[in-house]
Amino acid sequence: MEDGVTATQVVFWILAVVMLVSAIGVVTAGNIVYAALFFIAALAGVAGIYLILTVEFLALVQLLIYGSAVVILILFALMLTRARERPQALFGRTRPLGIAASLGLLAALIGGIVATTWTTPATSSAIQSVGLQTIGDAIFTIWIVPFIIVGVLLSIALDGAIMLASPDEDEI
Amino acid sequence: MVLSEFAGISMPNWIDALLRVIFIVALMTINAFALIYLERKILARLQARVGPTRTGPMGMLQSIADALKLVTKEDVRPITADRWAFELAPYMAFVPVFLVFIPMPFTETWFVRDLNLGLLFVFGVLGLNIVGVVMAAWGSDNKYALLGGVRAAAQAISYEIPMLLIIVAVVMVAASRLAVDGDASMAGSINAIVGDQTTTPYILLQPLGFVIFLVGTLAELHRPPFDMPIAESEVVGGYFVEYSGMRWGIFFLAEYTALFLLVLLASSLFLGGWNWPFGADVGLGLQIVLTMVKTSVMIVLVIGSRALFPRLRIDQLMAFSWKILLPFAIVQVLANGIILAYGGPDWVVGLVSFALLAALGGLVYYLTSQKKGAGARTVQTRPATPRVITAPEVTPVEAGGD
Repeated sequence: MEDGVTATQVVFWILAVVMLVSAIGVVTAGNIVYAALFFIAALAGVAGIYLILTVEFLALVQLLIYGSAVVILILFALMLTRARERPQALFGRTRPLGIAASLGLLAALIGGIVATTWTTPATSSAIQSVGLQTIGDAIFTIWIVPFIIVGVLLSIALDGAIMLASPDEDEI
Repeated sequence: MVLSEFAGISMPNWIDALLRVIFIVALMTINAFALIYLERKILARLQARVGPTRTGPMGMLQSIADALKLVTKEDVRPITADRWAFELAPYMAFVPVFLVFIPMPFTETWFVRDLNLGLLFVFGVLGLNIVGVVMAAWGSDNKYALLGGVRAAAQAISYEIPMLLIIVAVVMVAASRLAVDGDASMAGSINAIVGDQTTTPYILLQPLGFVIFLVGTLAELHRPPFDMPIAESEVVGGYFVEYSGMRWGIFFLAEYTALFLLVLLASSLFLGGWNWPFGADVGLGLQIVLTMVKTSVMIVLVIGSRALFPRLRIDQLMAFSWKILLPFAIVQVLANGIILAYGGPDWVVGLVSFALLAALGGLVYYLTSQKKGAGARTVQTRPATPRVITAPEVTPVEAGGD
């Protein structure tokens, strides 16, 4: 902030406010569809932060995956709950458990942030842009084993979903 | 804001950015007017009618009259509709489509921005407009709207996957070709892909890709034969059934703009975009004409399909994507990978893709020509009572309810 407010900082603060407001909206909106829509806004804010950090690829993947995935989430919310009849259906007997889990996650994240030694770049403009090719090389050479494991895990989840959703008879 | 940040336009250039935005908005409007007129005329011809004739010469001002009617019409909101979701949905559906104009190349040097990740940008941003559709469907508090919106979401997400895989296949071909005489890392840029097609349009290298992309385009746009989300005879117009006036107009504008954009993308990726066929170099003036001619041919195809094909059932549509298009797209990606990794020449790539296309055509013909519709039987799901796996008090009747 010493050397004046740059456009990037303005954009960052706008995005930060949007993300914070939407994140609070996600947990406070009684209506599950509103919560999902706030969730989309929060994730779009994260995509904007990625753009500021000049990792366009991550920003686009964020939109592509979470945009579609959250729509699926809304659909499940519509199908599996009576969102319009019981707006407060989000809060049930498991509420203390949820509070404990979220507080634990918060503590873990804050611990992680505090424990990390943050390096300040020498000049603010010297942020290294990570190319798409670099990401691709890293995923498909260095991290190929975790990549495959994640792929297998997702396939198992998909198969399980199909198993659960298919009719009882072995006719598909 | 995001636009300027992404495209790297610095603040003093805000006039430049504003001009580009104004240009795109004007283009969108004129495009929608022209396409609505064309659609009515082409459909009329195919159905032995004449279409609009009264307003203006040959009825050409019909779209303007329609727009005036829409603007002056009362904007009605059902009293039980969810206010925020209902009123914001048209814009949520419109803005992503608008943003997709950014990486589109009209000539070698005419585009808003040549993005290195242009192809991913198109699909990443265009996919968001389904959020607007679902908002409209849910916010309307109308069973037909909800059914249409759920269909639209299922359809869009299913057909996005084969389309994205085909894009991967195209980028693989483009990257290997650009590596010879260009920069392979630019293969995600639409303009670079078009620039590589001076002598060989990619429809010769990836004919299967072209067909799958075209089918996916029809599905993404809710065009017949894939118009279940907006089918009048089934869901009374689908997710925008409760909209009237200008909000309905915005949905329509988004739809026709998406039609133009996806078709422009297809003609850029597969038909060579602004290139003169087979490499005769021409000046800038003709490039825009070539782009538009190729796009127009495809638009006529898409519009004509509305009069030529009957509507499918929703389960047939989903099964066609997941059980036929997706495996073929995966095989295409694998085949490209194997051929290109061993340095196979271009004609092998094209031949394999042609063979796959022939196999796809043969399979579809076989499935649809069986007695009693074997194609339908393989995809038919029993109207069984769904097994409810959540809270026990939710019965299927309530789960699908209002």
